[in-house]
Amino acid sequence: MLSEQILKTSKLTKRFGNLIAVNQVDLEIKKEEIIGLIGPNGAGKTTFFNLITGLETPDEGQVIFKGTNITTLSPHVICKLGMSRTFQVAKSFTEMSVEDAIRVGAYNRRGEEEVQNKVDWALEFFELENIRDYKCSDLGLSSLRKVEVARAAATEPELLLLDEVGAGLTSTELLKLMSELKRLNQETKITLCVVEHVMQMVMGLCERIFVLDAGELIAKGIPSEISNNQRVIEAYLGRRSYSESSSTS
Amino acid sequence: MEIIIQSLFDGALMGCIYALIALGLSIIFGVMNVVNFAHGNFVMLSMYFSFWAGSLWGIDAVLTPLITFPLLFVIGMLVYYGIIDRTLKEHYTIQIAVTVGLMTFLGAITQLAWKAQPRALSYSFIQGNIQFGGYTIALSRLTSAIISLIVIISISFFLNKTWPGRTIRATSDDSDAASLVGVDFRKTYALAFGLGSSLTAISGGLLMTFQQVDPTMGLRFGLLSWCILALAGLGSIPGLLISGLIIGIGESLAMTFWDPRARSLVIYLIFILVLWLRPRGLFGRK
Amino acid sequence: MNHKKNHNLENLFLLFFLAIALFVPLIFGSNQYNILLVTTVLIYGVMATSWNIIGGLAGQLDLASFAYLGLGAFTSSTLFIRFNFTPWIGMILGGLVAVAFALLIGFPLFRFRIREVWYALTTCALVEILKVVFNMWEEVGGPVERFLPYFSGSLYHMRFGSYVPYYYLILGMLVIALLVNSRIARSKLGFYLKALGEDETAAEVLGVNTRACKLRALVYYAFLIGVTGAIYANIYGYVHPSFFNGQESIKIAILGIVGGRGITYGPLLAALLLVGTQEFLRASLGGEVSGLYLVIYSVILILVVLFKPSGIATLFQYRNKKPAKQEVEKKSVV
Repeated sequence: MLSEQILKTSKLTKRFGNLIAVNQVDLEIKKEEIIGLIGPNGAGKTTFFNLITGLETPDEGQVIFKGTNITTLSPHVICKLGMSRTFQVAKSFTEMSVEDAIRVGAYNRRGEEEVQNKVDWALEFFELENIRDYKCSDLGLSSLRKVEVARAAATEPELLLLDEVGAGLTSTELLKLMSELKRLNQETKITLCVVEHVMQMVMGLCERIFVLDAGELIAKGIPSEISNNQRVIEAYLGRRSYSESSSTS
Repeated sequence: MEIIIQSLFDGALMGCIYALIALGLSIIFGVMNVVNFAHGNFVMLSMYFSFWAGSLWGIDAVLTPLITFPLLFVIGMLVYYGIIDRTLKEHYTIQIAVTVGLMTFLGAITQLAWKAQPRALSYSFIQGNIQFGGYTIALSRLTSAIISLIVIISISFFLNKTWPGRTIRATSDDSDAASLVGVDFRKTYALAFGLGSSLTAISGGLLMTFQQVDPTMGLRFGLLSWCILALAGLGSIPGLLISGLIIGIGESLAMTFWDPRARSLVIYLIFILVLWLRPRGLFGRK
Repeated sequence: MNHKKNHNLENLFLLFFLAIALFVPLIFGSNQYNILLVTTVLIYGVMATSWNIIGGLAGQLDLASFAYLGLGAFTSSTLFIRFNFTPWIGMILGGLVAVAFALLIGFPLFRFRIREVWYALTTCALVEILKVVFNMWEEVGGPVERFLPYFSGSLYHMRFGSYVPYYYLILGMLVIALLVNSRIARSKLGFYLKALGEDETAAEVLGVNTRACKLRALVYYAFLIGVTGAIYANIYGYVHPSFFNGQESIKIAILGIVGGRGITYGPLLAALLLVGTQEFLRASLGGEVSGLYLVIYSVILILVVLFKPSGIATLFQYRNKKPAKQEVEKKSVV
């Protein structure tokens, strides 16, 4: 039961013209895990997220979510099935209040009678109650990030994808966020997949890690394995032969 | 059979002129992502200016672009700095709305200034017809089509091979990157807007050699340009030309075989069909 | 908290307005001209308020309101003229025909990732298409006006000897339009529409079926306008392809934007101020200056869009608390 797969991609590939952004990626996530997805800039992590959430269609390969083939489904259908995400560049509902923004997420599973309860839960869980009336455009970075996560969590997903939510936060804010995400995973049993550059967050939070480089999956394993993996180190620091091959941007 | 070919010829010639009109809009929308609902009204405005220049100073319609081109360029840049620039950071409907306002404004003041009846210039020196294999071609249309083609090719060259042109293209691809390399993207946008608008002056002058102008033409040319853009997709000037030809021929065939009143109908129906079946156009990028 | 305050203010304004509106015809007594004048202002109010559903709540720049008005008018009137069909049902059918056409263009154009400008352009095109088609369609439209049979007081035919009953009919439509607006704005659909107007991609991944939501808004809007079209035809006593008027459609959008997109009473406010003034001036100064009015409308639009894009109704609203950035940072790190 615990080792049941929630997401599986096979040979997932996406090309943009001559550029191969995601190259034959096979990845599987088990229920209630916290997974990390790392790689140097331009490795294709966000494109990968776009592929599995339905914002892009792959050229090859499949995405299986909870046993269903979701490869060509629309994003909103995928959300209804139980997958939600945040964005690297925050896509906040600027003119809406924090509470209203979260409410949009909460309507995913709740009708008019129950939606307020869900909103209140999210506000309380992420400690956003005292800014519930503030307009999203008036928020500071860490609050904005939390609203993004809260909004997505309010849709009551089974799998939540977080795209670089740690970027630009101070260490205090980062630790706070990490503990909230851990709590989220433990209390609500939501599976998390975290794309991150902030190594502290990845190593401290994730049970298993996948590493992408130039669109390819180059390593997977537990944190200690990954931090000692030669190929991973080279990917981040760069190999001499790399200057010949085309680099993604 | 003969009628069909005659109609095809006439349509193709008009198509070249239409392609030039659409080219101006393509620079503005394709490059800057600015929606200009008033583009057709700029064409109409140039036609009225040509009419003025022609009737006040006796200049031949074909030569009026010498005056109207810089005039429209200046007007274009003023419009950009005055109203477009401010709306760029707002919601997209705001930017569209302001050009809708501009379109209405231009339509209304031309109606006030020149009244509803059509205006035309007396014959240009390129009047007359030539015979070509049994078919009649109006010299004014032929010359206009050729000039339009020359302009289209020149602009293509300009955008691809010259520094200012490539600056415009670079800014469209990535304004952040462009500004890092020292390009003042607002100035580039203004120039692009000015250029796109001033191209209408050439079309306007050419049209005045054989057509008349009235205040309803703004909307017609506007929808026409957008239709050609939709059909062509963004990023390809040859595609634009081909789409222009398709539209011109479509209009001509509709007038000949269906009903003269249906001339625009066919264009609008093509428009809706394209958006339904192939939104990125026939030759669109990606 | 500000939601509630604004809501109460809104209700206050509307109640006040309704109270006056109910007695207006009595003030004018038997002055049919004036009653027609205020009825006209209210018609623009109905159309602008209905437009708010698609243009304000759903954020789409729709420029086809008179297309739907004309469709409603022609449907109802043709059935009336040819088959003595009562406009009371005719207007419902008129609304449905309008909805059918709206869905025809909305369905392909509201696909996720299609840019909104194409919708705006297509709505422009729709009005023009219908104008030409109905001009060419000689059995139903044709170049000459088609007059509705005259009855001095037939409820069945919705034809009356005075404009007063029509005034109240239109007022009723206005109330319905306002209620629909208000209910949508506070419902799940309203939140979803607001979200997709802010960021369509973010809305989609949060479970919002953006296309379906926009289509629902479109249906409400087109239906209301279609029904109004039928009444419109009965008021003026004829139908003609000139009903498919592009400039007037743009004017409705202008009223919506200037008044305040998304605010229930915003477009109504703009209609009362702008159209009210226009009609009043037209009565005093004569109708030849209609071109001038359009100039003024467009200038007002441009000014409002540049300097107060949220609309004039927001001048009367409480703004949300605007905290200093440091304050918010401090609070969140607790």
